[in-house]
Amino acid sequence: MSQYNIQDNVNCFNVWNNYTVADEKSNILAWLSPLEPRIRHHDIRTRRVDGVGEWFLQTEEYRNWFGGIRGSESDGSALFCCGGPGVGKTYIR
Amino acid sequence: MREKVLEERKVLLISCDASSLVIDTLCKQAMREDAAVACFYLDFAAREEQSPAAILGSVLKQVVGGLDDVPEKIVKAFRDRGKVIGGQRLALGEIVEFLRDISSSRCTFICIDALDECPARHRAGLLDSLNQILQKSPGARIFLTGRPHVGGEVERHPAGRAATRSITPTKGDIVIFLRAKLREDTMPDAMDESLEQEIIQNIPEAVSEM
Repeated sequence: MSQYNIQDNVNCFNVWNNYTVADEKSNILAWLSPLEPRIRHHDIRTRRVDGVGEWFLQTEEYRNWFGGIRGSESDGSALFCCGGPGVGKTYIR
Repeated sequence: MREKVLEERKVLLISCDASSLVIDTLCKQAMREDAAVACFYLDFAAREEQSPAAILGSVLKQVVGGLDDVPEKIVKAFRDRGKVIGGQRLALGEIVEFLRDISSSRCTFICIDALDECPARHRAGLLDSLNQILQKSPGARIFLTGRPHVGGEVERHPAGRAATRSITPTKGDIVIFLRAKLREDTMPDAMDESLEQEIIQNIPEAVSEM
């Protein structure tokens, strides 16, 4: 009987401990930033047409950037994708 | 060499519900690698709240959210300051330091959209902070989009780091887009084959001549 109680208490502790760790992580994330860019992600993804801009992924600039390969003008760590209004930068990104 | 290192790493993926082409692609590719993907959309209408600390704080949140355990330094900072309601948030320098720490041991893709919608006074601080992350963290990659007039600032801040690619829609893109929109037509009876052909042929031609 006493063994059952001890096990029961350990389980209770584990549940409590897991809850508080998860709870603290979520509090820390909320503290780091109140902003929710995923809402915007969802909106953009819904409107993006599959197949449009796929060529961009085959460009030397993108491939070098993804692989961290030094190009003629850069060390491969940053890529700036530019264009006028409405050309599809947001959807490419 | 870096590609080889990346391939040998395990999986860590953040923001799988991310949106656009590069983000979606990075998420798929990161499935095979120990990579984090975080992004931020700048918006002119929200320019006052989108300071460098707010932008990179959001990026840090996404990166930390994908880790099994919150790094000890961040837990300590939170316990020291964050528990009080409205507790003091991290300063920009601290956020940069935490992002540098994490991306020094883990490939971290940071994608920031519409740099031109960030006020100039914030843009300089943001680019400088991103440069600081790149300087110390070989695993960090920054992807930026924006209108051409901010290109000079991008080239100056991460000097020698940024490649630039100009984007224009191809005829193929426009055809795919038009076909998708025609499939969504709410009045299909008003369409016939010849009109559809005319739209598919003439609009891409007209756009490419603009």
